[in-house]
Amino acid sequence: MDFKQSAFMYALGGAVVVFVTVQSLFFLRKAWRRGREIGISAQTLRGVVTSSVLFTVAPSLAIAATVLALSNSLGLVLPWIRLSVIGNLSYEATAAAAAASGLGLPGGLNVPVDDPAAFSAIAWVMTIGSVFPLVLLPLFLKKIQAKIGKAAVGKAAWTDLMSAAAFIGLIAAFVARAIAGKGEADRAGDGAGVLSVLTLATAVLVMVLLELLIRKRGWKWAEPFAMPLSMFAAMGMAVVYAHILPASVAFLEWRG
Amino acid sequence: MKAEKSYFDKVHTWGRVSCVTSLVFMMGVPLAITLHLDAWPPLSGLLKGLAGVLPMFWTVAVIEALSYGPIIGSGGAYLAFVTGNISNLKLPCAIAALKGTGARANTEEGEVISTIAVASSAIATTVIIALGVLLFSPILPLLTAEGSLAATAFQQVLPALFGALLAGYLGKHWRVAVTPVLAGVLVLVFAPGLQVGVLIPILVILSLAAAQVMWKIEGERNRSNGK
Repeated sequence: MDFKQSAFMYALGGAVVVFVTVQSLFFLRKAWRRGREIGISAQTLRGVVTSSVLFTVAPSLAIAATVLALSNSLGLVLPWIRLSVIGNLSYEATAAAAAASGLGLPGGLNVPVDDPAAFSAIAWVMTIGSVFPLVLLPLFLKKIQAKIGKAAVGKAAWTDLMSAAAFIGLIAAFVARAIAGKGEADRAGDGAGVLSVLTLATAVLVMVLLELLIRKRGWKWAEPFAMPLSMFAAMGMAVVYAHILPASVAFLEWRG
Repeated sequence: MKAEKSYFDKVHTWGRVSCVTSLVFMMGVPLAITLHLDAWPPLSGLLKGLAGVLPMFWTVAVIEALSYGPIIGSGGAYLAFVTGNISNLKLPCAIAALKGTGARANTEEGEVISTIAVASSAIATTVIIALGVLLFSPILPLLTAEGSLAATAFQQVLPALFGALLAGYLGKHWRVAVTPVLAGVLVLVFAPGLQVGVLIPILVILSLAAAQVMWKIEGERNRSNGK
């Protein structure tokens, strides 16, 4: 039996899933209780849960697809573990590839890793590469938050503007990538091109339209779902564009 | 005020415990694999692999810890860093939840809302990935295989996600948004391969600076109008 997908590995994966879920449930329960204590309605809190889950579905399927993409070389379980805890879509593949090249594996990650020592080395590199925030946060987060809190006291309008500006700066990085960023060489459709710009523009348009309907037509019920709906609509339209436009136009990536 | 302080303090205590136990647990995974397979990795290969990723990963970790914390609050940040996939999942969820409820970051209400958003997203992701891996492993490759109908949709998940998020801010803050978007495009024209993790702090700083300038200009305009 393939050692990468043995019962032992699945048990390890199961333990990670339980560990992450228990922690998340703990924070969810504490925050929910506090929210009710300070007067946030259960309906509002439920809305937050629903919209967050909806928002999560499509990117999570993309992550599951990455797990499967890495499974050819690493088996299903290790990528699954790494992408369930701390892991990140783009980092894990990079870390595994760096480890494979450091070990001088012929074929890198394009072929199954059959050497247990190489496999464990890849597991170590992927893990050590990603755990650093768990050292930093306990040491520094409280200090950082205290400074921000002090700066914000008594300046509500200014704080609103600054926090919106911080969000916008972050979002702008991904928006700019869709317009002019270079994709990863082995991932089709990852670079900026006709489809990424059309999808981006569609998401913006649908969201603006939904916001107008919410404000002018009283579509209050749609408010928590406006962003996930816009995202799904844009993803759906990406498929439509890919079919109605000539392939040479639709799949043109000016940044490769 | 006292109750608010104690909740924030509690969050930091829980978060610290959560980070340290996760650290031990996570390091236990490769250790368990190594012991189970009785296969210690060759040191030189291991070091070469680490040398390839640590400088970049750890620098980005410092930047992310500094820039994400204030945005999504303490509880949200601790949980997001433990569960991962922050920029493509947890941040958008927290941002959308704060925006949707009108709660402000760095208030107790914002803290509660973003923690609930991050926790819900983390549970959903864990379940979806586990189901995806266990149940859909025969189907998912077909869905995402090159040339399949849904593949195009999945390839465009990030532009769709961040387009929707950006639009949420355009109504009120379009003038703030122009600077970082244009600057980001300009930077990528000259350095197309620049990692998003590096681009984010540059654009966050620029965006904050643009907002600050706008704040001053509007303040002066209001003062002169008042005269």
